[in-house]
Amino acid sequence: MTAIDRPQDVVGHEHEEGSFLDNRGLGFWGTIWDWASTVDHKKIGLMYLTAVLLMFFLGGVAGLAVRIELMEPMRMAETIGEDGTPTVELQGVAIDFGSEQTAEDGTKYWSFESTRESASTTYNRLFTIHGAVMVFLFIIPSIPAALGNFLLPLMLGAKDVAFPKLNLFSWYIYLTGATIAVVSLVLMGTDTGWTFYTPYSIQTDADYYRVFLMILAAFVLGFSSILTGLNFIVTVHKLRAPGMGWFDMPLFVWAIYATSIIQVLATPVIGITLLLLIFERLFRVGIFDASMGGDPVLYQHFFWFYSHPVVYVMILPAMGIISELLAVHSRKHIFGYRAIAFSSLGIAGVSFLVWGHHMFTAMGELASAVFSALTFLVAIPTAIKVFNWIATLYKGSIAINTPMLYALAFLFLFSIGGLTGLPLGALATDLHLHDSYFVVAHFHYVMMGGTVIAFIGGLHHWWPKMFGKMYNEKVGMFACVLVFIGFNTTFFTQFILGTQGMPRRYASYVDEFQLLHQISTVGSWLLAIGFLIHLGNFLHSLIAGPKAPPNPWGGLSLEWEAESPPTAHNFHHEPLVKHGPYDFESVVPPHCSEEEFPLPKSVS
Amino acid sequence: MMQDAAVAVDAPDPLAVFKSHELRLVPESGGLLEKLFFRAAGQNEQAVMTDGLFLLIFWFSVFFFVLLMGLMVYWVIKYRRRPGVPAPLSAPHNGPLEIFWTVVPSSALLVIFLAGFWGYMSKVVAPADALRLNVTGFKWDWEVVYPGGEKPAYTMPLGTKDAVKIIVLPENSPVQLLLKSNDVIHAFWVPDYRTKMDLYPNRLTTYTFHTEKLADDEVYRDHWVFCAEYCGQSHSEMYAIIRVVRQNDYEAILADWNTGSLSCEELGELVYRTNCVSCHTVDGSPGIGPTWLGSFGTMRALENGQQVLMDENYIRESILYPEAKRVAGFAGQNMTAFLGLSEDEIAGVICYIRSLSEQGQDTPEGEEAPGDGAGTKGDSADG
Ligand code: HEM
Ligand SMILES: [Cu+2]
Ligand SMILES: [Cu+2]
Repeated sequence: MTAIDRPQDVVGHEHEEGSFLDNRGLGFWGTIWDWASTVDHKKIGLMYLTAVLLMFFLGGVAGLAVRIELMEPMRMAETIGEDGTPTVELQGVAIDFGSEQTAEDGTKYWSFESTRESASTTYNRLFTIHGAVMVFLFIIPSIPAALGNFLLPLMLGAKDVAFPKLNLFSWYIYLTGATIAVVSLVLMGTDTGWTFYTPYSIQTDADYYRVFLMILAAFVLGFSSILTGLNFIVTVHKLRAPGMGWFDMPLFVWAIYATSIIQVLATPVIGITLLLLIFERLFRVGIFDASMGGDPVLYQHFFWFYSHPVVYVMILPAMGIISELLAVHSRKHIFGYRAIAFSSLGIAGVSFLVWGHHMFTAMGELASAVFSALTFLVAIPTAIKVFNWIATLYKGSIAINTPMLYALAFLFLFSIGGLTGLPLGALATDLHLHDSYFVVAHFHYVMMGGTVIAFIGGLHHWWPKMFGKMYNEKVGMFACVLVFIGFNTTFFTQFILGTQGMPRRYASYVDEFQLLHQISTVGSWLLAIGFLIHLGNFLHSLIAGPKAPPNPWGGLSLEWEAESPPTAHNFHHEPLVKHGPYDFESVVPPHCSEEEFPLPKSVS
Repeated sequence: MMQDAAVAVDAPDPLAVFKSHELRLVPESGGLLEKLFFRAAGQNEQAVMTDGLFLLIFWFSVFFFVLLMGLMVYWVIKYRRRPGVPAPLSAPHNGPLEIFWTVVPSSALLVIFLAGFWGYMSKVVAPADALRLNVTGFKWDWEVVYPGGEKPAYTMPLGTKDAVKIIVLPENSPVQLLLKSNDVIHAFWVPDYRTKMDLYPNRLTTYTFHTEKLADDEVYRDHWVFCAEYCGQSHSEMYAIIRVVRQNDYEAILADWNTGSLSCEELGELVYRTNCVSCHTVDGSPGIGPTWLGSFGTMRALENGQQVLMDENYIRESILYPEAKRVAGFAGQNMTAFLGLSEDEIAGVICYIRSLSEQGQDTPEGEEAPGDGAGTKGDSADG
């Protein structure tokens, strides 16, 4: 009943090859060069991890600033004088980038004096920074590029991805795109929103190249996405360890595979769209701007044709993580493995047919009806996955630790996110809720409550594997609870704001909404504290954490075969797959004893 | 009905009350959930229907959510890990169960979809007798033109804005908005009526709502109008107020606002006489181009064999880009593009052509009775 053959003598060789993190006596610059020129998927994964976490921090700070601005309504804060003229009292100007002013002699200068105009300009730039950084620089690359790069070859029992050099190239493209975006931010950012809707994005800030830079950044980042996707697809097809059929792959691999397909098919569309947008901005050709004979709705079709599938690029890998966490920590085969695997592919397919649900207020009756119907179609495979995950818990042996808490939090938050998609997909209710805070809450529940929560959960789960160190479980669980409470406080209030009539992307608002906005802002602080505690916990683990065993959770997928951290070539010898990734009922996990992870009696 | 107006000795202004800077928003009403989600129960049939659908979805969601989370928490506690105790055996999947939980929610979704579509139609298809307003959005305010050519003249200072427009509407009447933008995209959202639509610089969009009946002791009731599509710096200041008043007050206010400008229809007729009369007739007789009589809302056969609905966007397109869609039977005849017409003049032409169809409806024996297309608007052709 031993699972994968690891002849005992191999253990003796373990010290021949050090951990991939060993700097092998290279000096400081030597180590830097070693990392900068590495083709090791694990090192590239860790570099992505550092970068996306940095971006998460940057986007998070912008998000907190947006919330602070919304503490005060501003518009109604002033009193109307006896004579009927309002005396303006400015409140709620939290952070001010200043604004461009024109002096009497026509020269332009930058003023940091707080005016209502500069306050809303600042706000508009902040939410754009927040959205663009979170979407293009954080969420899209987060799970696939960071965890995917690290884990995919390990889970397949391979030495590396199919094209290691291409992988390094993708990383440098990402770095280039990120640099361009940061340059545009340092130059005071743009105010188009992450959606770059035309004609606004073509007309705004006409003297500056910031909008151009921001769009260019998104364009460049797209290539990184496409190449990584391509690399992963080939890796899954070609590099599975001997004995691993398609249905022996861990569900995380299935999810990354489905994601890669979407990335390769959809990203070129946004690439071309952004290119057209750049052309239009620089050379004034009319494609999307009506004042030049273009059509703004065309832009929206192009944009959402990419951006709807991309929400599944964000969520599918998260779903993959959740499948792993639930199975390993409840020691259960995942319920309905094939249903989950196929629903990933189903979602990837249908996701290309529903983009119009972002445009119900822009299209005619027929198109709206068709897109609404198709939208409900995509809800079904999503619901099936949730049912399967919960059924996985049935008759498990459920460990309560940070990864598991995150998996449960995911089920809670993602269910709310999915269910609130229903009133947005139904036409009558969407006409009310579209572009309101309800939509803001909906996509935070799916993207943050779904993807970010799964990402942090996965980070805890694979942290021992990546760095060979354990983190402090109690601190991790405490921070998880804090994040959960903070998240709900921040975003549940926004559902109610939306149904009550609060529009999206508003720097100021009418008095009625103040209480809910304030609760939301306080929630965002809890959330921030929770994340900072996680950060501290991780740093502490790196410096002083106890050494991690190769398989602390008793996982069965191949990455747990490897050392923690893995050796440079991942495995001492090519693994031979003799059991599925979720055969917890019949297989003692590698590196583990049966006392630790007992098998059901009838089998052993 | 102006008993509230101050009965001053000298020059009593019977309309003073409607110029009031006092906001009288809808007071909180309805059940607990309605208060939480919407502050007040819906103000018209469409809004009540929308809230109903929302609450239906809400309860549907609550049911599934509680069921799933209940099972999750129960199982996590019941099957928590005990050292040395293995997980009991269980089946890795269950076909009938999986089919059951696919089919049942799917059928519920079908119901939600249908209800949503039905409610949507009542928000976009205007009744024939609707009051038609031309609304233009621009950075960062709204311009409204009433059918008689009047424009709102009452404003009030609110927040940092010193002239927020008050759009007066008669109580208990259907209203249709014909929307367009002068610059970027905006969206006209009236949360109390639970509906919105985008405004575009290159085409017309439309939607409809029904104003509510005022209570006996009410003189007016206010509703917020917000811009819901991000449009730049003062996007969040782009708001207005809809003030619903009684019918006779509405007429008095519009008379007060009338500056002698031409009504929408008159403007259209003027444009017709100066530009179009040489080719188009309005009495049904043949001309170089198609006659306008009774044409609005009908399906037109095109040269390429397609059919197109004669609606606001089709008229606008035919004025600006006449060659885009050519009506069958006029081969060899070309119309010049009237790019010099303003959006107001185009709106006038639309009013005028529409009025030519309504006359057709009035005369029972009218030979050119418009087809049955008048009620339903197709997908905006050039979208
Ligand atoms: C049951 C599944 C879902 C349904 C039925 C659904 C439905 C919708 C609809 C109809 C909208 C448009 C709302 C509007 O703008 O009026 C929307 C917006 C959005 N959804 Fe979902 N959704 C679902 C799941 C997801 C998931 C899984 C994600 C991402 C991980 C997601 C991300 C978003 C985002 C980012 C937006 C807003 C985009 C923007 O305007 O900036 N949704 N959703
Ligand atoms: Cu979507
Ligand atoms: Cu606007």
